[in-house]
Amino acid sequence: MKLVTPQTTPINGQSIRIEGISKTFSSHGGTMLAVDDVALSVRPGEFLAIVGPSGCGKSTLLQIIAGLIPPTSGRVFLGDKDVTAQPAHMVYLFQQYSKSLLPWMNVEENVMFSFTHREQLSKSAARDRCHEYLQMVGLTAFHSYFPWQLSGGMQQRVAIARALAAEPHALLLDEPFSSVDALTRLDLHALMLDLWTQKRFTAVLVTHDVDEAVFLADRVAVLSHRPGRIVDIVDAGMPRPRLPVTTHQDPRFIAVRNQLLARLLTKPDAADVPAV
Amino acid sequence: MSLPFKRVIQILPGIAFIAALLLPLELATRWNLVNRVFIPAPSAVFATTYDIIITGQVFAPLLTTLSLLAGGYAIGCLAAISFGILMGNYRRVYNLFEPLIELLRPIPKAALLPVMILFLGLGPAMKLTTVGLATFFPVLINTVQGVRAVDPVMINTARTFGHSGAAILWRILLPATAPYILAGMRISLSISLIVVIIAEMISANGGLGDVIVYGQRMFLVVESYAWLVIVAALGFALNFWFRWVERRTTFWVSPSNQ
Ligand SMILES: Nc1ncnc2c1ncn2[C@@H]1O[C@H](COP(=O)(O)OP(=O)(O)OP(=O)(O)O)[C@@H](O)[C@H]1O
Ligand SMILES: [Mg+2]
Repeated sequence: MKLVTPQTTPINGQSIRIEGISKTFSSHGGTMLAVDDVALSVRPGEFLAIVGPSGCGKSTLLQIIAGLIPPTSGRVFLGDKDVTAQPAHMVYLFQQYSKSLLPWMNVEENVMFSFTHREQLSKSAARDRCHEYLQMVGLTAFHSYFPWQLSGGMQQRVAIARALAAEPHALLLDEPFSSVDALTRLDLHALMLDLWTQKRFTAVLVTHDVDEAVFLADRVAVLSHRPGRIVDIVDAGMPRPRLPVTTHQDPRFIAVRNQLLARLLTKPDAADVPAV
Repeated sequence: MSLPFKRVIQILPGIAFIAALLLPLELATRWNLVNRVFIPAPSAVFATTYDIIITGQVFAPLLTTLSLLAGGYAIGCLAAISFGILMGNYRRVYNLFEPLIELLRPIPKAALLPVMILFLGLGPAMKLTTVGLATFFPVLINTVQGVRAVDPVMINTARTFGHSGAAILWRILLPATAPYILAGMRISLSISLIVVIIAEMISANGGLGDVIVYGQRMFLVVESYAWLVIVAALGFALNFWFRWVERRTTFWVSPSNQ
């Protein structure tokens, strides 16, 4: 796998800014506050991670950013443009890759599904683009396979290739590595970082895996228990390129990770007590 | 592929069983144990069936029946699929029409024929309408169910790539619902064949249903049975063909068949 240093590649991503995002769901006759007044700013080409306990509203927040669900209040900006509640040129990478890949399309058709409707490309140009991204995830040979003929890890790589082939200004990742085995996950981490250094899109990753967040991201935002609100933003800033073995053993990595874990393990009623 | 061979082995006992049923009947008619006027020898029936096909007599009634069936079936399917997609997507549309549909659905559509004849006469309009109605309900119910079963993740996948509503309908909703729609269409196909034959029997102006009744009225008992064999073969062929279409169009449902 070739490693490109971030400095050499121009930044393609745009900034994301969210202001005062809240989301209330009505269910069972009552209302429930899932996300509470979240403000966040992601720099162009930055890799930001959001960690938080289960059910704290991470997916909800990310889907609001993606424009897939409208917020109850607040605004989402991509660059200078207000894109609240509209799917702008951001791509949401689903945790459930097996449901997100369309079983009636083969790998190639699935990848093309992400861009051919936006851009007037000749058939061969579209295929070239498709194969460029399939090559990045190492699946060129499988272009005519159907999703159900691939392993889980391969399916997720197709989903990643498809998301990137759209050449979005921002990639929104909702625990995309949580349903593959540990070894495949490390593989996908390396792949994701490699793609990110090549393309320099803006990335927002939601996860409850603190190690994953520190390994991949520049900064890590911590969400509280439901209703989700930001309680901390930590500069992880591990030196790049990051390598599976050495980075995980770096004393700085361990320190940041412990700090985040302590923050996350703080009980909701003790939230105002400073973390140890 | 050894699949066709395996299939032949599978259906062999069933075919032997049919032969075992026909043999005593054949012997009974030859030995005059039954009244041959009402129960002709199977061999005579098959011989007449062969004649009807070879001489080309079969074509006019078969074509009449098939075109009515195809027309009514197509109308019924198109209406049911469009309406089913609306009902499956919009709760309000569903709530508005659901009671009416539950009321009309259980009526055996053949029972509507007298009323249909009253309003539309004995011509093709009556037959097309009745076949269309018979087709409509099973396809509708299945389409609604299918639309509701579509995983929101699929829809959101299309939305996040910026696809339009029309693209979501054609490229996600319809293929995702297709297995349900086709299952409904298979049920409707059998029902439609029944209804078109009954309609032709009543109106007696062409088609396979007409020739069966004609045979009975004119005491052409063997002919009547022969046409029955033809109708049975038609039903079998339609079902066989439909299953093939189903496997082809929704190949991802049971990939092991590939
Ligand atoms: N469509 C909805 N209607 C009602 N409540 C919802 C809806 N979607 C989410 N919720 C609620 O909002 C809260 C946050 O859900 P969300 O899926 O955003 O959590 P999460 O942080 O992504 O959890 P996990 O880590 O388990 O994926 C949950 O309590 C959930 O029950
Ligand atoms: Mg979630």
